[in-house]
Amino acid sequence: MSALPYAVWLVFIFAAVIASSWLLSAYLFAVYTGRKGRLDRLFDPIDNFIYKVIRADPSKQMTGGEYFLALLGFSALAAALCFIILVAQGYLPLNPQHFPGLAWDLALHTALSFATNTDLQHYAGETTLSYFSQAAAIQFLQFASAAIGMCVAVAVFRGFSGKFSGIGNFYYDFVRSITRILLPASLVAAIVLVALGLPQSLGGYVTANTIGGGAQTLDIGPVASLVSIMQLGTNGGGYYGANSASPYQNPSPLTNWLEIGLMLLIETSMPFLFGRMVGNKREGHMLLIAAYAIYGINLVVAFVNLAPFGPGIEARLGAFSSIVWTVTATSTMTGSLNAALSAFNPVVIIAALMGMFIQAAPGGIGGGVMYLLMYVVIAVFIVGLMAGRTPEYLGAKILPNDVKRAVIAFVSHPILILIPLALAFSTGAAAVAGAGSIPNGFTKVLYEFTSAAANNGSDFLGTAGNTLFFNISTSIVVLLGRFIPMAVMLAIADSMLKRTRSSQGGGLRTDNLLFAGILVVSILILVVLTFLPFIILGPVLSLLQGYNGI
Amino acid sequence: MDALEPIKTPLLLAIVTLLVCGLAYPILVTIIAGVAFPFQANGEQVVMNGTVVGSYLVAQEFNSSIFLHPEPDNFSASGVDPTVTLAYAYSQVPRISNATGLPQSLLDGVISNQSEYTLFFFGSRYVNVVDTNLYLIKNYPSIYSKHVN
Repeated sequence: MSALPYAVWLVFIFAAVIASSWLLSAYLFAVYTGRKGRLDRLFDPIDNFIYKVIRADPSKQMTGGEYFLALLGFSALAAALCFIILVAQGYLPLNPQHFPGLAWDLALHTALSFATNTDLQHYAGETTLSYFSQAAAIQFLQFASAAIGMCVAVAVFRGFSGKFSGIGNFYYDFVRSITRILLPASLVAAIVLVALGLPQSLGGYVTANTIGGGAQTLDIGPVASLVSIMQLGTNGGGYYGANSASPYQNPSPLTNWLEIGLMLLIETSMPFLFGRMVGNKREGHMLLIAAYAIYGINLVVAFVNLAPFGPGIEARLGAFSSIVWTVTATSTMTGSLNAALSAFNPVVIIAALMGMFIQAAPGGIGGGVMYLLMYVVIAVFIVGLMAGRTPEYLGAKILPNDVKRAVIAFVSHPILILIPLALAFSTGAAAVAGAGSIPNGFTKVLYEFTSAAANNGSDFLGTAGNTLFFNISTSIVVLLGRFIPMAVMLAIADSMLKRTRSSQGGGLRTDNLLFAGILVVSILILVVLTFLPFIILGPVLSLLQGYNGI
Repeated sequence: MDALEPIKTPLLLAIVTLLVCGLAYPILVTIIAGVAFPFQANGEQVVMNGTVVGSYLVAQEFNSSIFLHPEPDNFSASGVDPTVTLAYAYSQVPRISNATGLPQSLLDGVISNQSEYTLFFFGSRYVNVVDTNLYLIKNYPSIYSKHVN
């Protein structure tokens, strides 16, 4: 069959996502700038009550450092609550299957992984976690980590914009992200998903006596409420070990494409929001065009080789939808999966790795646009060098300190992947997890640490990764991969806040297609130069050796 | 001033978020789903003669040769894909026809009618095994009733 209908289908999907995101961005702008609206009558009393309970003054402007410490402290305490729930699971309510508490290293890994929006899972939820844990630990952190991503993005926007008196207040941004955006959106999405077939129950697993005479356990639970925030918040950690390949998490083509849309929705709206907040919508459009151009390139790479597939594709979803899902989940840092990664040709794995190396096409919730701005700082600097002009962005001079910080954020990524990767092979830890071979085992471990460093969460290892080495090493990587870039970008935003802006625009114009092109080329050159050896030793070698899967 | 003062606000925020997003929200969704969509909310259970015999969304063993069979365990990523490709469904028609005496053309028609597209109106086609077997049981009771417990 020709490729045309598939291409038309994708254009239709992306057009629908971008149109929805554009509409959403107007609402986000009102939420984060405090513009009055009709919904305030409903939300203001709720928000004010929360500020009172937590004893926060939402009107107090924070410095970049204060903002960062507040979100770091909150993340640490939220992870600690989750850790306690997971190890004490056996003593807590809503546990009809009587699952015992988790071992400390698995609980620690799970708590840190979900608190950082990564959602690497070294367990299968349906045989490990009680309803209470799936709700109060997992869904709680999926909301919290998504909201933090949005907060950081908005604080960075305020700093870059120069039109705000400060970068904002963490508690104000966080509470409004939850009550006015994530909760209502997840509630609506969850109800729609239930209507389309996802379970939502707290009544315990159901035993069926099958038509053939056997017994079968139907592991139903609060699935829809988890899947909606898991996709909307680019979390990716599923209710079931098989994630969205499980028919209860993704029963039909309709749920499949709806969930793809949910993964893209909020992060696609962030560049639009940026344009509104800096007072020039075209600036936002160019970031979005650059992000989607790279996302498109990743999709093309995944379809370069159409060799037959191994087992691991759900018949109701098909290979095409599974590949688009996988590239989207790794380009958005969601990391949910609807097929076995081992089913795919190595080119799909290359596309997935590219998404996680770049982290900005369009990237994870809030994080993606933050990385786009990191690339902008570097790209503007490089062009400035070539043209012999002082680099400028949005009328503000880009100073050597900004560039140094952006480079720290960029370089931390390969370092966080390379060091533990080398350790995994030199200590033999990779072999213990059944991934000691070259090139396929190398690809699996490379993928694990890339996913951890990018806070993505898709993985090859699954429950095989439940070893002390992988639990601890990926815990450290998810923390540094999450908080180093956030600290650095908040510092840049803080220092740009009060910088004088020139109005005549003497520097490079950044609101036209030429700049979008420069940005795409800069990102690809930076990322390919950095990561090419990794890709060659892993999936490219697999491809050359004739493997159809990894 | 007590020692908890500097972390009081983030700690309280974490607790409030846990209560609202980790408990109130899933419970609210469960209540709405249970009232508005009880069939889906409880996992689309198949009930025959008052007992639960499975789910429309979960593959189950049909070991008798008169039934359409799902793919073997672990052929799909989930291991419980209730659907098979159209080609795999057609490949079982001669066996089912032999065992039941139903003509192959009739079985081909049943399978074709049950099939759906992965992209709504194009793409690959698939068949839900549970749905198809329930259709056969309902429409050919003289052949199937003795195999249903």
